[in-house]
Amino acid sequence: MNEDVFKLPTSIVGKSDINRILRELDGLDDFFMSAAARKSGESIKAPRTTYMLDQLARDNGYNLMQTDQRTAIKTKLIEISRTAPSLHISFAVEPTPRIIDVILSWMRGNIHPQLMLQIGLQPTIAAGCVLRSPNKIFDLSLRTYLENQENYMVELIQGAVGGKR
Amino acid sequence: MNTGGLILILGSILSATAAFIWLVWRTGKAPEDQAPGVAPDQIIDTAAKKDVEHIFNDEFREELRNRGRLHFEKIIGENAMFLQQDLRQTTTQLNDYMRSQLTRTLQDEFKKYEQSITDAKQIALDSIEKTITTIEQQRQFLEEQMQTQAQTQKTQIIASFEKEMAGIINHYILRAIGNQIDLSDQLDYILAELEANKNAIVEDIKRGT
Repeated sequence: MNEDVFKLPTSIVGKSDINRILRELDGLDDFFMSAAARKSGESIKAPRTTYMLDQLARDNGYNLMQTDQRTAIKTKLIEISRTAPSLHISFAVEPTPRIIDVILSWMRGNIHPQLMLQIGLQPTIAAGCVLRSPNKIFDLSLRTYLENQENYMVELIQGAVGGKR
Repeated sequence: MNTGGLILILGSILSATAAFIWLVWRTGKAPEDQAPGVAPDQIIDTAAKKDVEHIFNDEFREELRNRGRLHFEKIIGENAMFLQQDLRQTTTQLNDYMRSQLTRTLQDEFKKYEQSITDAKQIALDSIEKTITTIEQQRQFLEEQMQTQAQTQKTQIIASFEKEMAGIINHYILRAIGNQIDLSDQLDYILAELEANKNAIVEDIKRGT
């Protein structure tokens, strides 16, 4: 178990994913509590864990079968949910998991290792993305790029109109 | 009628009166011979009365009266003729004088009228010239103003057209390629833009936290 850096897999994108894992961990706790109280000889069926939780436990070396480690994971996740920076990013179309994986990897590698991302849709931007940090909006869309290039286009139109005169 | 003509008429009347008085005095003169022992004055008076009554009887007196009347009528006729001639002459002179005066007055008035017309004409010409100059200046000012406005409007229309055209092209591009570019193809662009804004994002997150 690595105590220094709690790694978040890219499958955990935002706080909703953390909440989902927390609910899942609660479910596991309930299961193990009921398993401890079961009568001998009764068959039990362990709940299936999600890929996110498996990956999280695997990347950080936790054993989900142990209560104290599940509790540690929950504590870490709650702290991350409370303290980790959050960004909002919008695309023109629904991004595929691979795209999210690449972008989130870059962000957690370059900006903050536990960064939370909220993904939105904004069809009017056509291409690119719009990133919203706590205090700023970084418009990296094609719409804004074209608007910024409007003066150049006006120059071109002026040249064309002037040539026809 | 002038003063000379009036004096001539009065002179004629006075001369006729004087001739009549002289004639009456000549015909009434006393005889020379007188009777002795009688006061001369009485003799003379008596003789004069006899002579007078003898000489100046009613026929003689009637004849003298006729002669005097004829003479007076003759003098009156002559003087009337003179008077008529003088009147004609005076009338002619008066007519000439009036004609000349009227002509001179009319000429003066005509000259004044002509001068007035000339002055009025000159004033009118000056006024027209000033009006023309003012109108020309106004026309030039309006022309310049209109040209400036037209040029400004033209520039505004062209600028508006160019800006709207750019907007239309942008809108067209966005609509034409919107949702058609795969996000995988945009990934390099997005990562490059994120890399370019990395420091700003980190700084903002630090401030936010």
